[in-house]
Amino acid sequence: MTPVWQDRLFLAIALALAAIYLFPLYWMYVTSLKTGSSIFAVPPEFLPGAPQWDVYTGIWAEANMPRYLWNSLVIATGVTLVTAGIGAGAAYVLARYRSLWIDAVLFTVLMLQVLPPSLMVTPIFVGFSSVGLLDYPRLAAILAISAKTMPFFIILCRAAFLTVPRELEEAALVDGNSRAGAFFMIALPLARNGILVGALLIFMQGFGEYVYSASLIADNRLQPASIGMTNFMEPNVVNWNSIMAFAATYVTPILAVFVILQRQIVSGLTSGALK
Amino acid sequence: MRRVLNTLRDGVGFDTLLVIVALTYLLLFAGLPLIYNVVISFQHVDIFSLGTLFHPSAGWENYTAIFTDPLARTVLVNTIVFTLASVALQFTLGFAVALFFDRQFPGAAWIRGLFLAGWVMPGLVVGVLWNWLLSGDFGVINYVLEALGIIDDPIFWRSDVDYSLFSVILANIWYGMPFNMILLSVGLAAIPDDLYEAAELDGANVWQRFWTITLPMMRATIGAVLALGIIFTLQQFDLFAAITSGGPAGSSTVAQYWSWQLSFREFDFGRGAVISVLMIVVVLAVALIYVRSTRAETRL
Amino acid sequence: MKRFLTGLIAAGVIAPAALAQDITLTMWTESSTAPEGVFAREFSEMDNGITIDVREVRFDDLVAETLRAFATRANPDIIAIDNPDHAAFAARGAFLDLTPYVEASDQIDMDNYFDGPRSSLSWDGGVFGIPRASNTIALYYNKDMFRAAGLDPDSPPQTWDALLEAARTLTDADNDVYGIAFSAKASEEGTFQFLPWLQMTGGSFEQVNGEGASDALDLWKTFFDEGLTSPDTLTRGQWDSTGTFNGGNAAMVISGPWELGRMAQDAQFDWGVTLLPTRGPDGPRASALGDFNLAIFANTEHPDAAFQFLEYADSQAERVWPEFTRMPSRKDIALAPTGNDKIDAAAPVFTEQLQYARNRGPHPEWPRISKAIQDAVQAALTGQKSSQEALDDAQSQIDRVLN
Repeated sequence: MTPVWQDRLFLAIALALAAIYLFPLYWMYVTSLKTGSSIFAVPPEFLPGAPQWDVYTGIWAEANMPRYLWNSLVIATGVTLVTAGIGAGAAYVLARYRSLWIDAVLFTVLMLQVLPPSLMVTPIFVGFSSVGLLDYPRLAAILAISAKTMPFFIILCRAAFLTVPRELEEAALVDGNSRAGAFFMIALPLARNGILVGALLIFMQGFGEYVYSASLIADNRLQPASIGMTNFMEPNVVNWNSIMAFAATYVTPILAVFVILQRQIVSGLTSGALK
Repeated sequence: MRRVLNTLRDGVGFDTLLVIVALTYLLLFAGLPLIYNVVISFQHVDIFSLGTLFHPSAGWENYTAIFTDPLARTVLVNTIVFTLASVALQFTLGFAVALFFDRQFPGAAWIRGLFLAGWVMPGLVVGVLWNWLLSGDFGVINYVLEALGIIDDPIFWRSDVDYSLFSVILANIWYGMPFNMILLSVGLAAIPDDLYEAAELDGANVWQRFWTITLPMMRATIGAVLALGIIFTLQQFDLFAAITSGGPAGSSTVAQYWSWQLSFREFDFGRGAVISVLMIVVVLAVALIYVRSTRAETRL
Repeated sequence: MKRFLTGLIAAGVIAPAALAQDITLTMWTESSTAPEGVFAREFSEMDNGITIDVREVRFDDLVAETLRAFATRANPDIIAIDNPDHAAFAARGAFLDLTPYVEASDQIDMDNYFDGPRSSLSWDGGVFGIPRASNTIALYYNKDMFRAAGLDPDSPPQTWDALLEAARTLTDADNDVYGIAFSAKASEEGTFQFLPWLQMTGGSFEQVNGEGASDALDLWKTFFDEGLTSPDTLTRGQWDSTGTFNGGNAAMVISGPWELGRMAQDAQFDWGVTLLPTRGPDGPRASALGDFNLAIFANTEHPDAAFQFLEYADSQAERVWPEFTRMPSRKDIALAPTGNDKIDAAAPVFTEQLQYARNRGPHPEWPRISKAIQDAVQAALTGQKSSQEALDDAQSQIDRVLN
């Protein structure tokens, strides 16, 4: 088989796999265009018989979409900054040394991630409320979400720092760099793709986070899109098509950005950095 | 003072500072809530006294109540099955897809990005979509299986006690696979090409290269991915709420869902906390194994 | 400071009235488009110096969120709460006893409310809120399918036997049609749907394993065993179940008036509504009571202003049917025509059914009672226990809660 044919074959397989994997995503788009009852049609309608395009204009006008998206953006950015800002350094140190102390820290970091947010939110709410943090709701949400994402980020970045050859760093120290200098000038740039992937994953998590934001942000005007979406759910009545349209509106741009960025980060930077 | 500043910039002080900042943050925002959970597992918590730390002591009463609950056994087995099956399949599929896209054929990087859809979609929406896809009557999965002639009669994935847990596992694999895939992709990309080239010159075949280069070089990443995968799976909640509500008859209830049910559906926070404590014990084991595994890491 | 303020007032920067009596109340509700959300907006726009800030909280999170907030005294002034959850708060003194306010009120008369809603907000002789609206469940049926199967579309089933017989006749597996759809989900919805059947045998939430109680569960089990209903009834809520009815995949469905809007729009067939069939020909009637109550928190700083809003909400009760397709909780209000034939034909059925609607509770530990009932239903329907065994187990759970 010639390389060209092999490439084409691989491409075909890749597209087939992606098509299967993306089916639920497709179902989200299709459902958003269906009427309330044709969602439950037998056999399933793979293409909506009468697409209800006005659902999109409806949610945009009715649901304060821009405001919700802005709040999601603020929270996701805050979470990423706090998590990466505090987590990257710790990950670096945890990769650098090997001792019982380091093991103990690593162990603690993992342990602190164990409980689902739905079980952590009560003590966090009570604690935040007693120190007055609830007066700054988005900050409160950022702090709580960052505590959830940080162990994840530290473990990931630690793995990234392990791929940085120690000799390079030692050489930098010999050349007169301080420890801080070696960290910022050598280790950080060389581990950046791992860190960036971690940061991107954290950003996505912050963007879609529900439990903490729902509880800590009482003011509707400050709530993110993940909560705005649930306004279409009433006790007995659920506007599935609006929910799907809402989800599609906020997932699509994020996914697009992600597809572009991950390509840069995973393949592009690696080869550049290590060669 | 100067010495302190110096060590902070250029010595162990710098490293210690980095760790202490992160650790303090975590202990404050994740450690304290965790301790609160442990404390109330030994208390009678009235739903209206949630705001305080001191409640009448319950001794081991909450624990006995949980252990003697007829649901306990099912939940234990379900939790183990759910976690192991989810993690094993998420990891295997994620690794396979990562290896496949590592071939770097034209378009590979773009298409790989599309697999991240699962990570981006809100849990509520993923849950509802799978609820419909797995529906016995109007579900697409049954429709396809019947069209392909694999099954004759519809399977009621969500409502058959033999399949209900499996239906959540299926959705969870879909949900967690991208996370495994992207992290393993980064790990794969970090392996220097010349290692493979050298091995190829030595006459090693694909399998040998995978076992002697890929796996050992990926050790740190694999350890991290597996440990995080287990913890993420233990936190999965949305899918249970949306697909089966833990039913029918508790057949798909797992620890985290049961704990939430006890706390927020029956307002028995003490017993809900007992399950969190038991989960902490499990993660303790996972964390220990992970930390042990880091000793065998290879460094460049 | 004082001089500064006087200066500002003189300069017309601050209106004195704003300093003196502007009150801002907070209200939590599941939706700002629900009646109380809309009424709050209107009320705030009135010239009464009171503004109501509405926060939407997802229905599933409402109780947990309120508990947390109440524990830290961060609770709102007014809340719209699902009626079975009302007693937990009322019994703990979280809600304000409105008895003196109601006595002095020209607007609110407790005797105007149906018994069910009134019982849901009463506790220990006190009155802890007013109902915002009510709903109940009845039997929807596809008249076209009745005709096609040779059944009379004008005399839908009135007894359990007739219902079972109709479900058998209407089930058409080849065309993916089930005889009946409902919800036996392991959630409050399952309890909501099952209790009326139990009550028709003379049972109640306090007594679930009495004489004949297992017949109710056996009826449901027959629907499952004979394939008259989708097995997914076990994990599907009322809204999705009714979706299958609207799509023509179920010939009958048990659900409430909240379905009317979507059904009128989506269903491509002739349909009607009838009362829930009874066990015997003249057997006692029963149905479920749903929807929310409005309550004021006891720690509010502005109880008078909050009560003023409740009075306003009560004064607008005529509007909840035509504008929100919810039923007023007041016996003295007739449902005004909406202009849609099908909905207007359904209105008197639901009004009659509402008279038989019984409250879930009131009991401060309702969720635990409800859980015992759901567990029994699920255990029996999946064949893990016989109906009698399942109900006996539920009874011992319930006894533990009651005593």
